[in-house]
Amino acid sequence: MSADDIAQRWDRRTFLKGTGTVAAGAALGSWLLPGSTLAAKPKVGGTLVHLVQPEVPTLATFLSTSIPVSQAGTRAYAGLLEYNFDLSPKPSLAESWTVTDQGRTVTFKLRRGVKFHDGKPLTSADVQFSIMEVLKKFHPRAANSFKEVEKIETPDPQTAVFRLNKPAPYMMMVLSGFETPIVPKHLFEGTDIKNSKYANEPVGAGPFKFVEWKRGQYIRFDRFGDYFKSGQPYLERVVVRSIADTATRSAVLEKGEVHLAGFGAVPYSDVIQLAKLPHITVTKKGYESSSPIVQIDFNTRKAPFDNKKVRQAVAYALERKYIIDKIWFGFGRVATGPINSNFKASGLYTSDVKNYEVANGLEIANRLLDEAGFKRNASGVRFEVTHDITPYGEEWQRFGEYVKQRLDQLGIKVTLRYEDVATWLRRVYTEYDFQFTSNWLQTFPDPVIGVHRMHHSASIRKGTVFVNNTGWSSPKTDELMDKAAIEPDAAKRAQLYKEFQQIVVEECAITYIHELEFPTIYNNKYVEIIDSALGVLGNFDQAYLKS
Amino acid sequence: MSVARKRLRYIARRLGQAVPIVLGIVVTNFFLLQLAPGDAADVLAGEAGSATPEYMAMLRQRFGLDQPLFTQLFYYVKNVLLLDLGFSFRHNMPVLHLILERLGPTLLLMGATLVLSVASGVLLGLLAATRVGSWRDTMISILAIVSYATPLFWVGLMLIVAFSLKLDWLPATGMESVGMFYSGWERVVDVSRHLVLPAITLSLFYMALYARLMRAAMIEQSRMDYVTTARAKGLSERRVTFRHVLRNALLPVFTMAGVQTGNLLGGSVIVESVFGWPGLGLLAFQSLFARDFNLLLGIFFLSACLVVIVNLLVDLLYTFVDPRIEVG
Repeated sequence: MSADDIAQRWDRRTFLKGTGTVAAGAALGSWLLPGSTLAAKPKVGGTLVHLVQPEVPTLATFLSTSIPVSQAGTRAYAGLLEYNFDLSPKPSLAESWTVTDQGRTVTFKLRRGVKFHDGKPLTSADVQFSIMEVLKKFHPRAANSFKEVEKIETPDPQTAVFRLNKPAPYMMMVLSGFETPIVPKHLFEGTDIKNSKYANEPVGAGPFKFVEWKRGQYIRFDRFGDYFKSGQPYLERVVVRSIADTATRSAVLEKGEVHLAGFGAVPYSDVIQLAKLPHITVTKKGYESSSPIVQIDFNTRKAPFDNKKVRQAVAYALERKYIIDKIWFGFGRVATGPINSNFKASGLYTSDVKNYEVANGLEIANRLLDEAGFKRNASGVRFEVTHDITPYGEEWQRFGEYVKQRLDQLGIKVTLRYEDVATWLRRVYTEYDFQFTSNWLQTFPDPVIGVHRMHHSASIRKGTVFVNNTGWSSPKTDELMDKAAIEPDAAKRAQLYKEFQQIVVEECAITYIHELEFPTIYNNKYVEIIDSALGVLGNFDQAYLKS
Repeated sequence: MSVARKRLRYIARRLGQAVPIVLGIVVTNFFLLQLAPGDAADVLAGEAGSATPEYMAMLRQRFGLDQPLFTQLFYYVKNVLLLDLGFSFRHNMPVLHLILERLGPTLLLMGATLVLSVASGVLLGLLAATRVGSWRDTMISILAIVSYATPLFWVGLMLIVAFSLKLDWLPATGMESVGMFYSGWERVVDVSRHLVLPAITLSLFYMALYARLMRAAMIEQSRMDYVTTARAKGLSERRVTFRHVLRNALLPVFTMAGVQTGNLLGGSVIVESVFGWPGLGLLAFQSLFARDFNLLLGIFFLSACLVVIVNLLVDLLYTFVDPRIEVG
């Protein structure tokens, strides 16, 4: 058994007991076996069946960032960089990179001899074309991520020079094959990219080559023999499958018909059961680049939530630890503010904000509501509101029920409303016809991409989903975000975000509940599947089958 | 006029009558779907996690959602008449292609279910009716009530737990073994093995229905005068049952089976989701939630056609079971 195996098993145990951290477990694992026999050189072979939920509509990761599309499509694509678990970048297609001109020029040196699946070489022209002509125009997030990129120069086939209008430190965080897939210029140029035939037959430079897609059954990717990391990937084949029924998903993982499932594909209650099986490993690693946060958004345009004290009262009333343990089966950490604690390493996160997770929360909440002028009537009710539940499954319904019961103790009468995704999106982001709603947002590998959209005045855009729906913003916080976006100095940037977090948490247009930790479940005859901050959105080029 | 020519004319007329009906269904469906709030762009952007307003506008323009409703309807109906079911922007594929890919598995599952449920239902009904009031009759009635009342998804899961997880006799999900890529006879065996559990699950409910119907029809027919006459002629009980009673009792079962083909598609949503069967039911279900209306309308169109055809087949079948019935 290799040190890695030990680390992974340890990971599972610590997870089950709920003690210790993943990192400590891994460190201890390798310490237990100093100089242990390193894993025998991985052999090529094995079919990994990856359960992706819900069913994949297309494989066009250059047009969509939806989680299923990305989980399936990223197999085929490579990006300029990859990211370690602490979100620090490492080479991929780009061997090295230099930042000059006060952050306004970024030069990437590309690896030599990289080939696309059709055998043609990958050059800096492909990088330029992918970003300027495909992603900036058609990718849902790239217009923002590459906002400052004015042009990309290609002095030689191995060099791509990004010329920026302003420094954009966040841009360095979105260059993975998931967020910025490099597509072949020679196949895309002059075609209608929106309706590209390569949407469903991806051709990239990634470790696995698309072979066939039997709709409703499976998508098959085979090992790409000319992959630029020599000898890799080790898996012969990756097959993507979907199964609509949750109970069946657990059953096939148990049976071994599928080997890997991430992003909440299996209900949390079942994960606990599966983790007890000897052939199953569960890990919380691999979501660092998404860093999702569960929150409650208040519509601050209308009474009663136009009143800060009312919003704070709700924030005080909810017990975050209880919610994590009882509703999400322990998969989460208390959230303190808009920036995920995964950003602790980069200094962008601070816990030095107003703390709503206090023992006497209900007491403070009652006082705040009294102060806000909402007195109880004869039957003990202060006011009535409707709470919209996030339409993503059972936990959210339990969460809504909890909100209702808890606020009932404050004299707030809550009516719950549960609709389907399209209806809910329309209500919350187009019609603003809601009072308060549960929600979860990915904060992505940098606050500029994931966090600004929820707080900036410029993000109050009717009809656009997952942006500022609360209607709250301030010139002060706008300024802080604008400055932080282009601040190349990490320490100064951290200071700006600290102040930002303090204001936003105090104002409480959104109350942050917990940092969601998704379980990834996999059959432990496969190792090294989760090897980067991208987790199941990564490319699996290191994964192999234990012999 | 020969019987064959008569039949052909009848078929042609029935199909001709079906055209306005199916078109009416298409238009009605089109308006019904407009009642759902939110559109495909909302859902796609929602799944993406974030999007710029320009991106949303681009999606709507691309999907034609920025056009007035009647313009959308006009183009849709025009295209349907030309047998062009449109494009699914969500799947980046022509609707017809998507549907045809799923049609095979659906027909396989529906066909197997239809045969299995009618055959076992008729058999059970027959067994029950020939010994009314006996323990055999009681057992069959109990079985019918239990399978009628048990939710499909639960039956499916229990079959998976028993035959797949515990006994390991049959595969739990899918239509073929993933990663094996069988061909020829091996593939037929593989698909059949995968078909067993879903087909049984979906059949149980209908089997119960047909068994009860068959039993009632048999009892009713056996009290008719022609049965008394047949017995009086000195025919054996076996001959009376099979030559006379059974034929007449089958007719209501066939009628019911014909009417229920449409329902079968609805029931298959659950079975397909439990067993990961790559059929149309699940595709329809997912399209609704994704507001992929082109695709959903296409599936509705196809199932309307399917129901029309099956009902026509049932009517033709009558003339074979009971030659006294004539088409006209």
